[in-house]
Amino acid sequence: MTSSPAFERELTELLPRLRRFAHALSRNGADADDLTQATVERALRSSEQWEPGTRLDSWLYRIMRNLWIDTVRARGRREKHEAPEEEALGVGEDPREAIESSLELKRAMAAMERLPGEQREVVALILIEGFGYREVSEMLGLPIGTVSSRLVRGRTALLAMLSGSTDG
Amino acid sequence: MVDEEKFFAWLDGELPADEAARVEAEVAADPELSRLAEEHREMDANLKGAFDTVAAAPVPERIAAAARARRDNVVDLAAHREKRRAFLTSGPQWAAMAAALAIGVALGTTLQTNGTSGPVEVSGGSMYAASAVDRALDTQLASANNGNVRVGLTFRDQQGVICRTFATAASTGLACRESDRWKLRGLFAAPAGQGENYRMAAGADPRLMDMVDETIAGEPFDAAREQAARDKGWK
Repeated sequence: MTSSPAFERELTELLPRLRRFAHALSRNGADADDLTQATVERALRSSEQWEPGTRLDSWLYRIMRNLWIDTVRARGRREKHEAPEEEALGVGEDPREAIESSLELKRAMAAMERLPGEQREVVALILIEGFGYREVSEMLGLPIGTVSSRLVRGRTALLAMLSGSTDG
Repeated sequence: MVDEEKFFAWLDGELPADEAARVEAEVAADPELSRLAEEHREMDANLKGAFDTVAAAPVPERIAAAARARRDNVVDLAAHREKRRAFLTSGPQWAAMAAALAIGVALGTTLQTNGTSGPVEVSGGSMYAASAVDRALDTQLASANNGNVRVGLTFRDQQGVICRTFATAASTGLACRESDRWKLRGLFAAPAGQGENYRMAAGADPRLMDMVDETIAGEPFDAAREQAARDKGWK
């Protein structure tokens, strides 16, 4: 039986990590916080689907990742019919988010955004969130070999972008 | 030359010990691989460090608030559980005894005065909601309470049956859907002097909340699930 105060307490404790994952997936801080909030709301609405005794963090990451995919798809559909500057306006810069004033974070988010989504999520979960290959394979429903090869491609591209070196 | 995926699996500590030792030896013997390992270690650390600033920053209030935003009823139940944990150590049989006693007390006051037009109907040795209570349980949503009967929590019990709490001026109770009727699991007389306090349905009576707590599977329904359950006839 899910104990509601315990669920909420654990959820609250996981918020900083959820925001970190959201920033790794999203193109800017405002989008990341929208995604985090949507994840929290979805988690509370479907809290009875979480099985006590299993990891709450994995469950929440999966919700966030699925919401993120939905958002990206919806945006893709919308932007087909809209002027392209919406994207340009959204990239990277949001003066409301003081947190992005960190240059390292800005560069890291910009580099992550250039990765294909399927590599970005694997890089975020393993290199930033610290999950193991097996855990990510279960979380995303992918064979472990797929996780491993996407990780190789993603981190190799990141190294080229972030270190400036192109040999590799 | 070490296979690329194996090289990174080694870097991430994903290889079994014997294999890791082999890759490690190969990397140590190869300056090019050693440099690559160093570069990646540094990049991994920088990447994580950059995003760790997000995790270290305060969570914006709108997100923290979303994590707390639940229906009042749910908060009531949660608060009640906390209170019970703190003060009650005598075990569940105490609550059951109190509940049995309370049903008698409540029936004594509601049945005698109202007869069959009261909130309770006895049939085949079981008690069922009747008249206004029955109608409220069938149709009323907690978000749209009006009239003399208020509906509180809606939830599924451990057998998967839908249950709802309610309150009238004189009593508060728990009824569950059995054979297309609302069978009463508990009925408690309102404390003296609180006859007009209809708001107690959600969580004011600790005896009712104990009963809910022992019956419930998972969480109480939110407004959307409550409405969906009504639309499906409380199946």
